[in-house]
Amino acid sequence: MNEKRYAIVLDTKKCLNCKACTVACRVENEVPHEDGAYRIWVTALELQGKFPDLHQDFEPSQCQHCQNTPCESVCPTRATYKTPEGVVLVDYDKCILCKACMTACPYDARFVHEHHKAIDKCTFCYHRLPEGREPACVETCPTKVRVFGDLNDPNSQVSKLLDTNRYYRLKEDRNTNPRLYYIIK
Amino acid sequence: MSFSNLKLSRRKFLAASGVTLAAASVANGLGTIKAVANEHAEGKSKSLGRKFVPSSCAMCVNKCGLVAEVVNGKIKKLNPNHKFFKSRSMLCARGNAGAEEPYNPDRLKAPLLRVGKRGEGQFKEISWDEAFKIVAKNLDEIKRKYENRSSVVFYSTEGFQEEFFHFLVQSYGSTNTVRHPTLCLASVIQGWSSVFGTYPDADMSQAEFVIMLGANRAESIVTPDTIDFQKNRPKGQQIVYVDPRYTFTATKADKWYPIKPGTDLAFILAITNVIVEEGLYDKEFVEKFTYGFDKLKEHIKPYTPEWAEKECEIPASEIRWTAHQFAKYAPRSLVYPGRRTSWYVNDTYMRRACGILTAIVGSWDVPGGIVPKSSIPLAKHDPVFPFFEMAEGRLDAKIGSLDSILPKDERTAAGLPTDSCTFLGEKDGSWITFREAALKGNVYPIKGMITYKQNPVESAPNRAKTLKMMEQMDFICTIDIQMSETAWYSDLVLPESTYLERWDPCHSLSGIWPIVTFRQPVIEPLFNTKSMHEIAAGIVNEMLKIPTLWDDADPADVEDFKATLVEEILNQPMEEFIKHQLSKYPGAFEQIKKEGVFYLSDKPQYGKMRKDNTRFKTKSGKIELYNLKYEEKGLDPLPVYRRPSQPEPGKYRFILGRHAWNTHAGTQNNGYLHQIEKENILWINTKEALRLGIKNGDYVIVKSKVGEQKVKAYVTEKIRPDCVFYSHGFGRISKGLSLVYNKGASQAAILEDKIEPISGNAAMHETFVEIKKA
Repeated sequence: MNEKRYAIVLDTKKCLNCKACTVACRVENEVPHEDGAYRIWVTALELQGKFPDLHQDFEPSQCQHCQNTPCESVCPTRATYKTPEGVVLVDYDKCILCKACMTACPYDARFVHEHHKAIDKCTFCYHRLPEGREPACVETCPTKVRVFGDLNDPNSQVSKLLDTNRYYRLKEDRNTNPRLYYIIK
Repeated sequence: MSFSNLKLSRRKFLAASGVTLAAASVANGLGTIKAVANEHAEGKSKSLGRKFVPSSCAMCVNKCGLVAEVVNGKIKKLNPNHKFFKSRSMLCARGNAGAEEPYNPDRLKAPLLRVGKRGEGQFKEISWDEAFKIVAKNLDEIKRKYENRSSVVFYSTEGFQEEFFHFLVQSYGSTNTVRHPTLCLASVIQGWSSVFGTYPDADMSQAEFVIMLGANRAESIVTPDTIDFQKNRPKGQQIVYVDPRYTFTATKADKWYPIKPGTDLAFILAITNVIVEEGLYDKEFVEKFTYGFDKLKEHIKPYTPEWAEKECEIPASEIRWTAHQFAKYAPRSLVYPGRRTSWYVNDTYMRRACGILTAIVGSWDVPGGIVPKSSIPLAKHDPVFPFFEMAEGRLDAKIGSLDSILPKDERTAAGLPTDSCTFLGEKDGSWITFREAALKGNVYPIKGMITYKQNPVESAPNRAKTLKMMEQMDFICTIDIQMSETAWYSDLVLPESTYLERWDPCHSLSGIWPIVTFRQPVIEPLFNTKSMHEIAAGIVNEMLKIPTLWDDADPADVEDFKATLVEEILNQPMEEFIKHQLSKYPGAFEQIKKEGVFYLSDKPQYGKMRKDNTRFKTKSGKIELYNLKYEEKGLDPLPVYRRPSQPEPGKYRFILGRHAWNTHAGTQNNGYLHQIEKENILWINTKEALRLGIKNGDYVIVKSKVGEQKVKAYVTEKIRPDCVFYSHGFGRISKGLSLVYNKGASQAAILEDKIEPISGNAAMHETFVEIKKA
């Protein structure tokens, strides 16, 4: 197969919740300084235990670039579409802001971009890819929690990581088949 | 991986890459960079097209490599410089947010002269020529009126252009330069140097067992340590993290000990006790390289884990386990030295004890251990400054000014120096001691204040005192990029160009991976701003027009000064300065311009201070477990534990800490970073909050002896019940900082001004507070 299938593999154990990915994404994609306007975020999961026996994990998340796309299927104007490489994008010109996709998305990954007057979300920094550049979050991450690459290339780092590690995906019961893989260590 | 064969499959997608955006530029709701760039910079830029310019970050002290993507003269994005291996191909949240700094709506855009009362915020714009004349005139008047150039204090903090600020100081001749170290790391430098003669680095990339005491590396980013501690963490590396708070570092550690605040020294002494008593130390290393082991052996006897358990509230069995592991993995085991160590009045002894523990297991100058810094030598400029007769010695060195900070009997009881700071930095001074002396006007008055890249009103404890000190000044001038509190209370405010708009000299970043960096402009200056280099030149050139400023110097000195400093450095473009710095290395200037980095080797170097004939920079020439200079000065030559003072019932110890998304009080007014943290919150333990009837999100009043602040409560299990915490840089009093003005709580307002008298460091964890519902 010549076609590429893009994915991100995350090793969240390395995540420091430093917010570098969030800010890199905001600058790269001109996300306005508005509450709730995020293409990507890191959640500090609920603290486990009582003082002093505590445990806490962090979970970065974003558009999961599902292969079965609830957002696409509910979009009345076909503003949301998938590229041949499996990247889910929004055509701002076609978006009528009905927000059906926001309701359909199980990952709460979409927001209203006030300037574009359209729904916005993670694009895997699709505009960077033709130049051989990685998504801004992947490139900037201090501890390289995130690895981006082509699942169809068996020699890519993402393929190798998935071959050699156990992983889970968010809300697998929704049968969305996401392209973000979280390594279990 | 390569995406070069990929084609954009849908033309509409271009909308997201900014092409459509630029055409429809509406400021509201647009990314701030673009909005402000459009408003102020459109048409100004000469450079069309797209380019990538390497430079280095200045959003904190790490100076990571960056590559700016610039489109039509505007910054689109700052990316990591992958060739800059010291920062390990990363740029943190602050580094990314730096893209907004030149376009920040609150930037200072032209020199400002105060027209209302001080602190009222009434200023008028003036020209640079006028501004330089005003500074020179005031410097001259103060010198003549008080017959003492040292009546002007010069505050600054580290940075590539600080050198030019110090050239200005030396041109004027004041001895009073007060720098940041005594608000930060003076005690760790003093403590480790008292053992090894130098302040070393930790090799986190290869260490197998690490003890981190309050060194919150996940949130207080130090490159490369923060990254090595997670990304490049060696297989099996164990981290023991000791901190009263469950920080993000604690979430990553193998063990977290919520130590009773102020007792870290007891913990380290007890580990040392186990290692000495059980003979687990490196006998050969101790014999060959150290001085005073016999005395240590006697001294350490009472400090058993069972004794320490009562002090630290860490079980003796855990302390013993830590000691055994530490010895087992040595020399690939280390106590992480840390950075901001302005904690307690005993801090130097605590750091000394960490050095001693490291030394006895031989964790010195080996992979995975404590390693002396290496650096890449640059060619130096050596300007000649006149010797002025009307200058006196440092104010903080002259008098017993500690009296009001820590009463003499308390100091004697604590085995601390009774006069001034024992080891006062000649260039750095001691911040709190200096202010105390200035307020008293003892020995001589301080009447002028010039501040560069520092905001003492918000960074030093006891804000009310700093403001009081400023009230007595005849003239206050501040150089900054935004209207800091210190600028707000100034008579003259000079706007500096941001780090993305100017040339900065080369800097050799020393460490295990020495590397040379610099800065070049990625965009043209947007407003009427200048670099510190240009500001120093402007002021000095005006000073030369006033004969009375030079009448207490030898005319021949003044001529040398003009030739070697004014003409050769200040009146030359910065590129000439940089070329000279790199003149030892052919081709280096071209390389650093192109790649943003210059280095001799990308391999770490070990072992240069483990050779047979190594002489350490201590009195005995050995690693001093027992310090001979301390003995001479009447200090304890070995670290003695004294129980820290404790809060009265109903009070809490106020502790400090950092975040990965703000640097000190310097970055909170950036839109991207403000988005992450809009106001700070008070961490209080669940049980205590219940007792006080405080719910999560309630506003509370935090009150100390010197001030009070209102802040939102965060009720959590992540902090011990005997202390509280909130982060730095909020509750600001400058109306020029629109995002953070009056939001959250200031630390400077409530911290008491205690000091650690050996290094002169502020002791910022010695304040007790009351908490009540607002």
